[in-house]
Amino acid sequence: MIGLQALCSPRLWLILGLMLVPALAVAHNISGANARFVEGLEGSAVVPFMYLGAKHMVTGYDHLLYLLGVVFFLRRLREVLLYVTLFTLGHSITLMAGVLLELNVNAYLVDTIIGLSVAYKAFENINGFKQVLGWQLNARAAVFIFGLCHGLGLATKVQGLSLSADSLVTNMLSFNVGVEIGQALALGLIVLVLAQWRQRINFEKHAFIANTLLMGAGFVLAGYQFAGYLWQ
Amino acid sequence: MKKSTSTSLENKTGRSRVLLATLAALVTAILILTAFILPAEFNRDPLGIGEVLGIKGLSEQPLVETVAIEKTKYHQDTVSFQLLPFEFVEYKYPLAQGSAVIYSWTATDTVSFDFHGEPENGPEGFAESFSLGQGKHEHGTFTAPFNGIHGWFWENRGASTVTVTLTTAGFYTESLKFRDGFVGTRSFE
Repeated sequence: MIGLQALCSPRLWLILGLMLVPALAVAHNISGANARFVEGLEGSAVVPFMYLGAKHMVTGYDHLLYLLGVVFFLRRLREVLLYVTLFTLGHSITLMAGVLLELNVNAYLVDTIIGLSVAYKAFENINGFKQVLGWQLNARAAVFIFGLCHGLGLATKVQGLSLSADSLVTNMLSFNVGVEIGQALALGLIVLVLAQWRQRINFEKHAFIANTLLMGAGFVLAGYQFAGYLWQ
Repeated sequence: MKKSTSTSLENKTGRSRVLLATLAALVTAILILTAFILPAEFNRDPLGIGEVLGIKGLSEQPLVETVAIEKTKYHQDTVSFQLLPFEFVEYKYPLAQGSAVIYSWTATDTVSFDFHGEPENGPEGFAESFSLGQGKHEHGTFTAPFNGIHGWFWENRGASTVTVTLTTAGFYTESLKFRDGFVGTRSFE
């Protein structure tokens, strides 16, 4: 469990910093390739697509709320890394498959499912499945499956950016790297705030209320997107 | 403190408490959706609350401005210029911002052209090019991006005489011809 002292320890910051390293390392490599691509006039746009990916994640409150739900009760960084890796694996698979196979999934329906994933995670957090149904899907399996759903959403967003065929893979990968950078930045903040919050005496009471609100927000997002599917 | 690996509020919530919270979340969500989001975002108001609050149709897209009303009727203009090798001519219309001209020009051989505009009260000699290149014709619709004088520069860079013919229709009231250091004006009123 991350204590207040631990929060001030260099070790935590080191680990949090390391979370960013894989994404940054990849980003660095692609930035190097960027120069060559621009020279070769391939029509690819690495940095713009990375920026768009990061922006989509940082400003995408549906993704952020889901991540908040996922890490809400993860007290150890090892667990945070495990769950986030599963989520990343899931959304990377469908992002790439969706773009490469030109899957045309309705963006509103995907966003409806993403909204429901927020409500699902919040319901799981207040132990709803075990209390009400007496059974619960493995939390790790669920985060992977919803990762797949979120990736489909990302794929529809990339496809909306009219990719030219010759630079499709580069631009798509750039977008994916951008998504991971944005996710790492957002998660760093979420994890730190949660670690602080857990120190409060009333955390568990607040956690119940917070997850109920999170569930409500998930339902609103799902309804909003489904209305978009019906009427827009 | 006990080493905890739980990933939820395990054994700390009762069944009825969970059901109540879920119901509250659902009811609140449906209320927010039907009272605010559906009227404001989708112009649908099942409860009539959007009407009362004045948020119904908040996000309705305004119609794209497809009509620009003008004060006078439009004029038509057809002019021809014979250009000897290395001769050039400019032909322009003073236009207000937003005023449109439909144009077509053809040349008997390739000419260099620069379709441009000089803003009113702009810096001396400043011009913005809208279409620049070499060719035998160009047809299009032009909407003046600013108040000023808008039109074409044609130059014959070939070895034989070329005739350029321009036809336009628009809400201009006069035209200006710049050739051999002289300015010729023609009024359409």
